[in-house]
Amino acid sequence: MAASISGYTFSSVCYHSANSNSDHEGFLLGEVRQEETVSISDTQISSAELLQVVEIHNHDPCAQLFSFYDYAGKVSEENLSSILKDRRKNVIGWYRFRRNTQQQMSFREQIIHKQLTQLLGVPDLVFLLFSFISTANSSTHALEYVLFRPNRRYNQRITLSIPNLGNTSQQEYKVSSVPNTSLNYAKVIKEHGAEFFDKDGVMKDIRTIFQVYSALQDKVQAVCGEVEQSERVKEKIQEDVNKLKQQIALRKRKTAEEERRLREAQNADSHSTPEENTEPSEASLLSRITFHAPSAPERPSTSPNPPSYADLSTQDDSLPSSSSPPTSAALLPRPQAVGSPGHPTPGPLGMGLGLGLGLGLGLGASSNPVTTPSTPYLGNGDGSSSDSLDRQAAGQEDDEDDEDDDDDEDEDSSEYENLVSETTHLPTVVASVLAQGRPAALSPDGDARGSQTT
Amino acid sequence: MNNMSPEVALHRISPELRPLLCSVVRNGRVGLDSTNCLRVTDLKTGCTSLTPGPCCDRFKLHIPYAGETLKWDIIFNARYPELPPDFIFGEDAEFLPEPSELPHLVQWDAGNPECLLQLVKELIQQYHHYQCQRLRESSRLLFEYDSLLEDPNYGRNMEIYAGRKNSWTGEFSARFLLKLPVDFSNIPVYLLKDTALDPGEDVALLSVSFEDAEATQVFPKLYLSPYALGGSSALHIPAFPSGGCLIDYVPQVCQLLTNKVQYVIQGYHKRREYIAAFLSHFGMGVVEYDAEGFTKLTLLLMWKDFCFLVHVDLPLYFPRDQPTLTFQSVYHFTNSGQLYSQVQKSYPYSPRWDGNEMAKRAKAYFKSFIPQFQEGAFANGKL
Repeated sequence: MAASISGYTFSSVCYHSANSNSDHEGFLLGEVRQEETVSISDTQISSAELLQVVEIHNHDPCAQLFSFYDYAGKVSEENLSSILKDRRKNVIGWYRFRRNTQQQMSFREQIIHKQLTQLLGVPDLVFLLFSFISTANSSTHALEYVLFRPNRRYNQRITLSIPNLGNTSQQEYKVSSVPNTSLNYAKVIKEHGAEFFDKDGVMKDIRTIFQVYSALQDKVQAVCGEVEQSERVKEKIQEDVNKLKQQIALRKRKTAEEERRLREAQNADSHSTPEENTEPSEASLLSRITFHAPSAPERPSTSPNPPSYADLSTQDDSLPSSSSPPTSAALLPRPQAVGSPGHPTPGPLGMGLGLGLGLGLGLGASSNPVTTPSTPYLGNGDGSSSDSLDRQAAGQEDDEDDEDDDDDEDEDSSEYENLVSETTHLPTVVASVLAQGRPAALSPDGDARGSQTT
Repeated sequence: MNNMSPEVALHRISPELRPLLCSVVRNGRVGLDSTNCLRVTDLKTGCTSLTPGPCCDRFKLHIPYAGETLKWDIIFNARYPELPPDFIFGEDAEFLPEPSELPHLVQWDAGNPECLLQLVKELIQQYHHYQCQRLRESSRLLFEYDSLLEDPNYGRNMEIYAGRKNSWTGEFSARFLLKLPVDFSNIPVYLLKDTALDPGEDVALLSVSFEDAEATQVFPKLYLSPYALGGSSALHIPAFPSGGCLIDYVPQVCQLLTNKVQYVIQGYHKRREYIAAFLSHFGMGVVEYDAEGFTKLTLLLMWKDFCFLVHVDLPLYFPRDQPTLTFQSVYHFTNSGQLYSQVQKSYPYSPRWDGNEMAKRAKAYFKSFIPQFQEGAFANGKL
């Protein structure tokens, strides 16, 4: 059993007691409640502890001694009622104050307690005993208080806790569970409570803060979404870049092979004829491109999305003699013309097929490769700069395909731009891929191919 | 605070309560052991500390009971002296008398100075009942109690103290204090050494302590009031027989005591008789004698112009024990400056003789012994 009394009630009882010139007594009002604690631990399933908590809210001092009992200690029901009136149901105990006596219930107190227990119908009626001890020279006075529950046989003394009475320098000021039953207090709180509490009894500040929190949460969620999207786009583009790079690499290899074969073929043949059909698709493509066929290469039906380089690379394999090459060719960045426009050599052309990079740069080397003023020289493995080539190619394409669909051009250019921008954005990646190779000798030899092997 | 003389206590107590306390400390005797008065200690006040004194209204009262001393707190209120007091029964926390058995509490009259004393006596009575109830824990001891209760000689004058159970061994102990119905009234007053103090009633108390519930360790003790029989040192009581019971033992002791008392009384009378006889036989030869206790007699006798003194000392258990005769020469001194004397303890004597006979025989003895004494005196003494 635990008991607690609020500080002001306790001090009020002490005040009444200390000011009386004799023994003093009164009743304790409050409530008793049961607290059940269920604890679950590893060693046992659950153990329930029942704790009876006595809370003393208020006290009712008696005006004089023997006010509700006679000399024999017999309690008078009438007097009791007239003293307590309607507070009778709140009585949970009574108290007595006597100076310079032992902390033990006296003869009469025990007799009265038994009767009160019965009359008030409180089985565990408590008795609070105050005793005031003074030293002989009145230098030191001690107020001792003990709470008894005399109706039990054992453990008759209960600890009475008074919140915030004690050394509060180490602890914080505690809010007591003992409520304030003063009417005036309740009135004031009711009047002014609306400023702090809303209709549900929740403090307004809490709601406001919660709103701020919700808003912040929403914003965070939105930003998360955006971040996710941009991350996806970035991912996709990165994929594209990688694919294109692969294609570049592939084409370079093929170009190199082509060149080799052409060289061999050249040696065997005196005339070089443009071979459109026997050559691999890339060569035919390139030749077509180079010769600037008057008819604009057919474009495929405009698709909303221009085929990416990945698509082109797949198409290459299946382009032995289809008409689609012109479309893809149209989409390819046009390499700069190699040598004289009239004499496109397959070799260089083949080289140039590898996205025209090798040739382009070869040309660029002779003409003026420094057409990429702003973008950093990214150092292709073969000494070519994709930037420059792209630029040039883009420029060429624009000139040649004026009648093209704007969409495509736009798309193309946008693609090129994207490429450019991508490459600018990913300097490190490209550089790492390209920079490993030796800068190619700027001669339209087969060196570029060799140097391309990174 | 302790060993406070009654006067000091009376001085410090609140004036309105003084009469009540007065009768307690001056006349208060409760219980069988009424030789000791009730004692008051630890006077405190229930008023505020700034109240001018004397204003003490609560104190501890020491009450002898069954060989123990009960220390009860009595609590008044000086501001309301007409109200009855409250009590705290010290260690006997379970003692809760029924108020209806305490008429002086129910009809407390602060104007009656004896009220408090009477109330205390009633409380003691209730306490006695309470202790007897506690005896029920041991059937053996209860039997003892009941058997004594039935005997009218002892039943009414019994105090029981059922001691606390020894919490270690669970042993139960009890003490019976019995007032033995022995009549001391005929004992002559001569045994009083100091007549200034009022010895009070002569009383013999037998205290029997049972250290265990089975009555295997029993320690009897006899308390005699200081002036009865000259103290208890002269009286040896028999040990408690193992397996015996109080109802047999107590009458034994009682009888023994009674016999002794009779003996003492008889002895007194016998001595008186003896002295009277000597007076009549020796007449003018008597120098002095103890006229109260009749224990001493001095004679100045002459034989053939030889004067000598005879001191007769009568023992306590005369006539069983024979008187001591001390012959003293009036002329001769010893080396140490004392008068030469000789003590005679054995001489013809019989306790069955009456006083006259003893006087006659004594006279005859003197005659036979004196020549011998004279020679001795002349030989060993100096003039």
